[in-house]
Amino acid sequence: MTKHTSAFSRRRFLQGSAAGAGLLAAPAIISSKALASSGELNFTGWAGYPALAEKVFPAFTAATGITVNFKELPDQDTMFAEGKVALDAGGIDVIEPTIDRVGAWDSNGLLGAWDESKLAMGNYLPGLADGAAGERSRPGGALKYVPSNWGTESLVVNTANAKLSSPASLGDLFNPENPAVVRPHSALAAMGRWLDATGKLPRPWMDGYSDMAAMTELWDIALAEAIKAKGNIVQWWSGENEANAGFTANGATVGLCWDSTGFNLRNDGYAYVAPVEGAFAWHQGFVLMKNATNVDQAHEFAKWVSTPEGAAGWASAFSSNPVGKGASDLINPDVAAYYNGTFNDEALSKLWWWPDQSAEFLAKRAEYADKYKAA
Amino acid sequence: MQDLLRRYGTGLTATFCLLVAFWILVLVILPNFAMFEQSFRPYLPVVDIGGPKDFYSLGNYSKILDNPFDTAIFGIPVTMPIHIKMFLDTVFYAALVTFFCLVMAYPLAYYLAKIADPKSIPTLLLLLFVPMWVSEALRAFAWYIILTFNGPLNMLLQGLGFIDQGIRWQQGGIFTAYDAIVIVLTYCYVLFMLFPIYTAITSLDSNQIEAAEDLGSPWWRTHWRVVIPHSKPGIASGCVMVFMLSAGSLLVPTVVGSTRANWFPQTIYNFFNDALDWNTGAAYSMIFLLVCIFFVILMMRLFKVKLSDIAK
Repeated sequence: MTKHTSAFSRRRFLQGSAAGAGLLAAPAIISSKALASSGELNFTGWAGYPALAEKVFPAFTAATGITVNFKELPDQDTMFAEGKVALDAGGIDVIEPTIDRVGAWDSNGLLGAWDESKLAMGNYLPGLADGAAGERSRPGGALKYVPSNWGTESLVVNTANAKLSSPASLGDLFNPENPAVVRPHSALAAMGRWLDATGKLPRPWMDGYSDMAAMTELWDIALAEAIKAKGNIVQWWSGENEANAGFTANGATVGLCWDSTGFNLRNDGYAYVAPVEGAFAWHQGFVLMKNATNVDQAHEFAKWVSTPEGAAGWASAFSSNPVGKGASDLINPDVAAYYNGTFNDEALSKLWWWPDQSAEFLAKRAEYADKYKAA
Repeated sequence: MQDLLRRYGTGLTATFCLLVAFWILVLVILPNFAMFEQSFRPYLPVVDIGGPKDFYSLGNYSKILDNPFDTAIFGIPVTMPIHIKMFLDTVFYAALVTFFCLVMAYPLAYYLAKIADPKSIPTLLLLLFVPMWVSEALRAFAWYIILTFNGPLNMLLQGLGFIDQGIRWQQGGIFTAYDAIVIVLTYCYVLFMLFPIYTAITSLDSNQIEAAEDLGSPWWRTHWRVVIPHSKPGIASGCVMVFMLSAGSLLVPTVVGSTRANWFPQTIYNFFNDALDWNTGAAYSMIFLLVCIFFVILMMRLFKVKLSDIAK
């Protein structure tokens, strides 16, 4: 009888203290799980990349003994929303946004700092975690972001039917003869960069990312031009499925899409082409939630993805590029061949990295996307 | 209350009351109140929340009046704020969906309730229900595929020689940019119209219809004077359900909408998810909720239906 009572109160105590530790709204399921096991990690990442759960996580578990509870979300706006909820409710340790969002997420108080001594910063390829990218990873001084893979958003073209200029340009997206699939805010940026490259803007397009007055000036121009050329847009995409269907089901011949879309369609008569202005490039990685409970496991996880094996697995799953040294030897030869087909040294040197976009910028950008969609 | 106590005793009555109170308070009032409160506050970084910049204002609500643009309503050129136009479009096309559902559901409901052989009713209802077992997302995707440029509908029409060129149905190949949305919403919600009307007509005494016929009423007058007045509560609740469901639908417009169609819930969704501005999203939700309720009440007044009729 005594034993029964003591077991009961111990459990109550543990649950109570877990709740007191900031998990007010978290149901008992989550807290009891956290108490029961030390070898797991709650990871929120991108939906639509089945190789993660099929190959990469099992390899990670085999290497470290840590199991990954993977929550798939379609885009990082949804991830931000979930992260904001998790700030009160708990349940997320690590999320995988792109580097241009880190500033906005950090100013919203979502992020905790990585402990560099528990990671292996020397594992990363040059330019990804040091230099300018390194500064962007450290809003407020502490390391808030480590890379997981990087890739591009560029032209996917139907090799038989697309009418391309020579060399291919972002302007081909707005050619009335090309049914196109784009996402609204990227299309506006593409229009801006195309106008910039052809000398039709009063000031550099990049100014818009640092100065809101310049932003409205430049985006007004890009919006007006994009609306004139809107007739050939046959599909908006926001995730992999819609992008794919835009080509296969709705007959688009040109699109501004992620590399993975081009990769998935590579055997159906589509090619992935870098425009003369340079492909959009993104950089994605791990952030640690401020209220993460499995902090050590999170560090193990980020560190493992910087090793050749982990980086290659991650890049193969996303059909993108690895962040770790030595990973390219291990990468899926299909993916490697696909990338090298699109990006020679010149195209690589022209990559246009998405600049930081503040919360205010994102709000304004959404307004422009709205006007573009409504036109 | 006395009645409840006498019939079920203190314990059960208290449970009922508590459950109802929980439902109303926790599932209805609290979330809506939280959103209501948020909707008056500006969108700020976390560090500024509770600071001097964080005060109540109508700023989020007045955003709906921003961004005037040139457009046309029924061919008449007007200049109006972009989100007002989206709002009007949404209400108009949701009303159209409601109308189509009514036109399709009423004859079917009458057939099921008064004409069909009672023995075959379970089979017929089952057939109607079967599509409902498939999730709405899948049904919307199925329609997406049917209506795509390279899809089966165009293939069929081309194969039969009706058209030479494929039609971009989703881009408003026939009437407007909202064709596909109206078609798919009608498909998805027609049963929400059918069953209330069916239930209402079932409760009509068949003798009344026979009496009307015996007195020489043509079929349309029997419906106009006998069946429709009796089934008005069913029609009203069907209309309210279909209208609110389609006006509030996010999935269908996202999946099948054209590049020119904007459903108001998509605007709200974009505020939450694209702009990360939950406060304006909350303000828009409030506007949407209130105006839709107002619209429904107006329609009920117009057609002389009371709220208590619907609750029957």
